Amino acid sequence: MKTRMMAAAAALLLTGSMTAQAAEKNKFEMWHGLTGDLGEAVGEVCGRFNASQTEFEISCTSQGSYDAAVNNSIAAYRAKKNPTIVQVFDAGTLDLMLSGAFVPAHKLMEDNGYKIDWTNYVSSISDYYATSKGELYSFPFNSSSALLYWNKDAFAKVGETEAPKTWEAVETVSKKLQAAGYACPLAINYDTWTIMEQFSAIHGIPVATKSNGYAGLDGELVINKTKFVDYVKYLKAGYDAGIFKIKVPETGATNTQAFASGDCQMMMSSVADHGTVGRTQKADMKWGVSFLPVYEGTKRLNSLVGGASMWVLQGRSKEEYKGAAAFLNFLAQPESELFWSTRTGYIPVTKSGFKFLKDQGFYDKAQFKGREVALESLNASPVNPDLSRGIRLGGFIAIRKEVRDGLQDIFAGNVGVQAGLDAVVERSNVILRRFEKTYANKQLP
Amino acid sequence: MSRRVHYKVWWLGGALLVPQLLLVFTFFYWPAGAALFWAFTLEQPWGGGNEFVGFDNFRAVFADTAYWHTVARSFIFAGLATALAMGGALLMALFCDRQLRGHKLVRTGLIWPYAVAAPAAGVAFRFLFAPEAGVFAVLNQLHPDFWNPAQIGWHAMAMIIVAYSWKYIAYNFIFFIAGLQAIPRSLVEASAMDGAGPLRRMRDLQIPLLAPTFFFLLVINLTDSFVDSFGIIDITTGGGPAKATTLMVYKIFFDGFRGLDYSGAAAQSIILMLMIMVLTFVQFRYIERKVHYK
Amino acid sequence: MIEKTPILNFFTHLILLGGLAVAFVPMWLVFVAATLTLTEINSPPISVIPGVHLLENLTEAWTRAGLGPKLLNSLAMAVAVAGGKVILSSITAFGIVFFRFPGRMVAFWMIFITLMLPLEVRIVPTYAVAANALWPFQAIIDVLGITNLYESLTGVRIAMEWNLLNSFTGLVLPLVATATGTFLYRQFFMTIPDELFEASRMDGAGPIRFFREILLPLSTTNMVALFTIMFLYAWNQYLWPLLITTDRANFGTAVMALRSLIPTTGDSTGGGTPDWNVAMAGCLIVITPPLIVVAAMQRFFIRGLIASDK
Repeated sequence: MKTRMMAAAAALLLTGSMTAQAAEKNKFEMWHGLTGDLGEAVGEVCGRFNASQTEFEISCTSQGSYDAAVNNSIAAYRAKKNPTIVQVFDAGTLDLMLSGAFVPAHKLMEDNGYKIDWTNYVSSISDYYATSKGELYSFPFNSSSALLYWNKDAFAKVGETEAPKTWEAVETVSKKLQAAGYACPLAINYDTWTIMEQFSAIHGIPVATKSNGYAGLDGELVINKTKFVDYVKYLKAGYDAGIFKIKVPETGATNTQAFASGDCQMMMSSVADHGTVGRTQKADMKWGVSFLPVYEGTKRLNSLVGGASMWVLQGRSKEEYKGAAAFLNFLAQPESELFWSTRTGYIPVTKSGFKFLKDQGFYDKAQFKGREVALESLNASPVNPDLSRGIRLGGFIAIRKEVRDGLQDIFAGNVGVQAGLDAVVERSNVILRRFEKTYANKQLP
Repeated sequence: MSRRVHYKVWWLGGALLVPQLLLVFTFFYWPAGAALFWAFTLEQPWGGGNEFVGFDNFRAVFADTAYWHTVARSFIFAGLATALAMGGALLMALFCDRQLRGHKLVRTGLIWPYAVAAPAAGVAFRFLFAPEAGVFAVLNQLHPDFWNPAQIGWHAMAMIIVAYSWKYIAYNFIFFIAGLQAIPRSLVEASAMDGAGPLRRMRDLQIPLLAPTFFFLLVINLTDSFVDSFGIIDITTGGGPAKATTLMVYKIFFDGFRGLDYSGAAAQSIILMLMIMVLTFVQFRYIERKVHYK
Repeated sequence: MIEKTPILNFFTHLILLGGLAVAFVPMWLVFVAATLTLTEINSPPISVIPGVHLLENLTEAWTRAGLGPKLLNSLAMAVAVAGGKVILSSITAFGIVFFRFPGRMVAFWMIFITLMLPLEVRIVPTYAVAANALWPFQAIIDVLGITNLYESLTGVRIAMEWNLLNSFTGLVLPLVATATGTFLYRQFFMTIPDELFEASRMDGAGPIRFFREILLPLSTTNMVALFTIMFLYAWNQYLWPLLITTDRANFGTAVMALRSLIPTTGDSTGGGTPDWNVAMAGCLIVITPPLIVVAAMQRFFIRGLIASDK
């Protein structure tokens, strides 16, 4: 008797709380790593989602940086207080894949009754994030690729009307610019994403064995044995000759700032900087973007995507997953992609999104003209599974830093190019082996 | 560090410590204990599993020549930053305490750097020391690479020492000023009556009476310079160029929270902690003996 | 004190002016940056002459970062942390210096060693503690078998939980423990002459009265210095508030808001417009309250106000 009353009371309480829940919105959290203007843009995306329906409410919180978003999510996950969705940058993909802490993208969508055409994703973007079986564990979100920015005014002064397509042509035009009195024909920095990763992909040379790490955790870095060595020698020679200048925050201006102010006439940077240059450029300066140069006679492969993807973490309620699925579905709608690309410099990640933007005349508008080059660069060839899919190395953030440190040593003249890169490879391989040992019980999916 | 006389109600003394000890246990020792466990395992950051590896993490750290360079740089940084921050602050405090015209303005002006949030200070220093902007641009035109912290290691090191000390001069200044104020006016006046000039009073009276404050600041400054340099490095140099400003705590943070190697970072934290403990113990043992508490 | 030392006075002024210049130049740059437009600030070399856009940058920073309520949060947090530290460290140091009991030195060192455990290196487990501040105690009774024993006796399993995430307590409590403050008070209490202590005992004053009526008034300058320092320390906290508050609308602090104005640089994907002018304007707003505190607390450093020393 007593127990039955208790059960009745419990049932009553349960229904009571359920009705209360139905009246209230179904809330869940997303953590991301963007700040400043981009952080606000993410906030606006979340606001649009909340306004688009009445069932769910997402609250999006910036964690201050990409690294902090990952670290804080780890801390929260271990304390079982994690957000439902977290944005993880490209180089952190492998850590997430091996963590077992997520709900795979395709499973989430199936469980919640969404039919997603996964082939709709731009293949060089989805391949970067997918498993060896081609499954997506996370949703590509903010995506970009690297381009060559060039100053049309300065080029016109030395009789050039087109961006250089090869490194040989870069050298020629740089010398002309230098002779015409320009102090900084090409701005370079130590960003390994453009210098090492993009260069290797479009030239079809490996960064590491085992298909750049996609085929197993036992890959090794090989950048001291490829054409990359010649490329660094080339950049160093140009730097010594004064036609290439290093522009990093420590020198007083980043390459983007130096290009926008008209001090430097070329730079390599992400398409995401397209908006920044437009907004901060010297008045009336004419400039354009084109493919990154290659060496003469190279058969160009597709360039690599950069940016971040959305991961859904484990340990949340069914209702929250329903909301997460709705949110991620919302992000992939062409209208959302249009909003995101208009508000930021990032490119659409789906084919239908790209088509929608094109049909809307997005790429004909003066301030967005040229951004389609990034997608063309990503689609320049079918993805070569061994060379131009991406980089999937353990401890890749630490390896990028080793490469950056090595390049700094080389450009400061402390060490020769070959010796410097040999040291980088040796140190990076220690990191790779340590990573492999840490995840000895895990299989690369 | 014992007084000759004490209260005998020992339980009250113990009870006074309980609140602080509880906080310290919960928020410092318990988490640190968890981190200690990582130092002896290979920990997967997301908690997917770990394997006990004994002292392997420590062996790996010690076998890394780059790590030893980091240790050496940390000592150079700690020594120079402490000397600059304490020396500068002491000088300012002693002269400010002469209370000549305008000393109040100076006092406020010298304290306020401590009020400035680290990100803002870091950005300001990055502007200030950039080789292609500001004063250094002029000097660099006269002589290329006269000043270039983006490429030359020791320039970058000098830059972070100055940027770090800038804030700590203010910190030390507050305590030196407070210490000077606590010296009874009558003592200073009596000394002046005896014919001791200002400089002599500083040397023979004020500096010796500041000894407890000085010792306090020495310990705090040395310790902090090992653990508190992270923010300024991250904003101004990012540990570069070519690791020239990678100090121990920056490496710990980078390896652990950028590189997600929790175990390697934990092992390095343990080493750093033991090192500072020894250093502090030495200071208490040998320097505090020379401090006279009345 | 009236002395004629013209040469020394000249050098005194010179040294102090030099110090002042060093203190002001970086901040002048911040101020100038806050008065420029985005295009001006992005064209190196950086200007040293202020522009005319200060007001619009301030307004932009204020609205974009929602600084109003966040300044109030920061104020409440900084006062609570600084006050807590002053109280806690004075009573701890009192216990350590004026009493003799077993474990006294161990306790001092236990507190002191926390100086060497910066939050940066213990952040992950500290977060777990903040998610349940009673976790350590639960773990202890679990290991000791008390949980199981109690369960077998009463059928109820002890599960202690005290979640500090997204709470004011969580913002403040973990920051209140202080090795620095305890050490400072210890240094000060060591200089109290034994005669004073004896005299108070002769008068029949107990420990509490001695503490309240003798020690506290004597330590005013140190207390004010400590409070000022700790207020600034708490005000400028970034990592901890960022981690434990996701409900930024209710618990966000001003420095966190400031960091959200500063774009993350160095990421390969780029794309953040470095609105340094707005960020620096935000910085000016965020450092104003601490400056007021510094100016106000200064009054207590001034010798004339300390009665005992007239």
